[in-house]
Amino acid sequence: MSFPIWRTEWLIARRRRRLMVLNTLIPLLLVTPIAYSAAPAAHAAATFAVLFTLFGTFGSSIPLIRDGESGLLGRLGVAGVSPGGFLLQRVAATATLDLCQLAPSAAVIALGRGASSSDLLALAASATLGLFAANLLGAFTAAVARSVAEGALFAAVSALLLLHLSGTFRPSVPGTWQATVEGWMPFRPLHQSLLALAAPSSSSGVHSHLLPPVLAIFGILAFTGMVGRALMQPGLRR
Amino acid sequence: MFEVAGLSYTYSSGRAGLANVSLQAGPGERVVIMGPNGSGKSTLLRLVSTELPAPRGTLRLFESGWDSTSRRLASRRLRGRLGVVQDQAVHFDELTGMENGLFFAELYGVGEPEAEPRLAALFSNFGIEAVRDVEVGEYSYGMRKKLLLAEALVHDPELLILDEPTLGLDPPSQAAFLEILEDRSACGTCSLIATNEPGLARRVATNVVFLSKGEVVAQGAPEELLEGFGGKTTIEVSVTGHTADTIAVEGATVMAQQGRIVAESEMGTEILPDLTIAILATGLEILRINVREPDLADLFTTLTGLHIADSSVRGEDG
Repeated sequence: MSFPIWRTEWLIARRRRRLMVLNTLIPLLLVTPIAYSAAPAAHAAATFAVLFTLFGTFGSSIPLIRDGESGLLGRLGVAGVSPGGFLLQRVAATATLDLCQLAPSAAVIALGRGASSSDLLALAASATLGLFAANLLGAFTAAVARSVAEGALFAAVSALLLLHLSGTFRPSVPGTWQATVEGWMPFRPLHQSLLALAAPSSSSGVHSHLLPPVLAIFGILAFTGMVGRALMQPGLRR
Repeated sequence: MFEVAGLSYTYSSGRAGLANVSLQAGPGERVVIMGPNGSGKSTLLRLVSTELPAPRGTLRLFESGWDSTSRRLASRRLRGRLGVVQDQAVHFDELTGMENGLFFAELYGVGEPEAEPRLAALFSNFGIEAVRDVEVGEYSYGMRKKLLLAEALVHDPELLILDEPTLGLDPPSQAAFLEILEDRSACGTCSLIATNEPGLARRVATNVVFLSKGEVVAQGAPEELLEGFGGKTTIEVSVTGHTADTIAVEGATVMAQQGRIVAESEMGTEILPDLTIAILATGLEILRINVREPDLADLFTTLTGLHIADSSVRGEDG
């Protein structure tokens, strides 16, 4: 197992130093004033969750569409890269890169809000899951988009809709169908841990919510082959 | 090696890309596809390379290897037996030429220790060894094309699928490519090449296929096709100045223009003595004489009424 796509993504990221710096600094520019402000925890956490999610979704969708348009993905397909394997390696690599680039922002939030190291650890776990889901969502939207503009639109709408279903923009009401759906949403733990970071006193057992979203992600992974084929063989969807 | 039978392809717009195309080639053979933009050359190559699914007709690759009618997806192993040069010379721009080469070699199942010397030799053949460690983003189109050729050859594929392989190559690299192609053919590699360069087609093809509007207009060995064609020899004479006199030569159509006189004849170079005498008789001095025998592009034009580089039939995929 040599994972050439994973390795290449990291190599490319190392060569795009300016982009790496911008991707680290720009989220910091947004989170720092909010983390150090008196913004209510719910609002701050919702803002952070939207930022983290869109960061992953856009960062996955737009480069994939661009690589499809340039013919690079088709070339990889012709060279025998399996569509599912390609997608998994690419999503895993870009999600891990996102995690590294957002880590300073998470640290600033924790410092600004006086959060504990266990809250930060919980965020690391939920952000890994959330960013993987966001990158996967970006790949799915790229597979149905026919232009970068379409991809950006699909990525934004679907990410915001899933964030809403995760309970990011409203209080959770136990016993309702919405609460059941929330439990399975991959962005739910991310939002909850960001909420815990933003309001350390209300921190509560984020780890207990990780299993259903992880299972949901595994369910979605069953479609990676189909999505990978749509990306690498545009003739199948055009 | 490959066989295409009754292959058709329709674009999403409903326009026919290919209509009932049939052809085959065995080990060592070199099939050259010629046709204007939009004739379906690239589409045919993309179908044979398994990049596009073959919806109608049959595509068979290798002996008992793969059959499009089975609806099985082309496997990595099968694609590892193909060497593909697409019309777009696309790479990872942030990686160096060698890194790109090693990446694609790995995808084809050739590890770095084996691939590195092979790539170095190919880079040397194509004259890009000096930029092997330069990021591809800094490469010119020709250098990218050379890299693409090196990547397609690094794993010694059994079937080469080459879309306009010499486009953008300088003459030494074209010569190197032709030498490699002939060497590989001698070892049994089959090639499917799309080009509109009649000279290249005549030199490399064991079989030429003329495509027009997605249909096969004619196919056969280049010599056979040209033998049956006849065609007109074009003699272009560069002269000093212009003459108002009519230049008449038996068996030829002569047109006088400023600085040159063009004669077309089915009698080949037999008319040359009469033509030069007629030109000198007008008082003009002859600077240079250029003779062009009828080629595959002329034959195509005669058969279809279209010029090989005719853009009026340009389509979605070329």
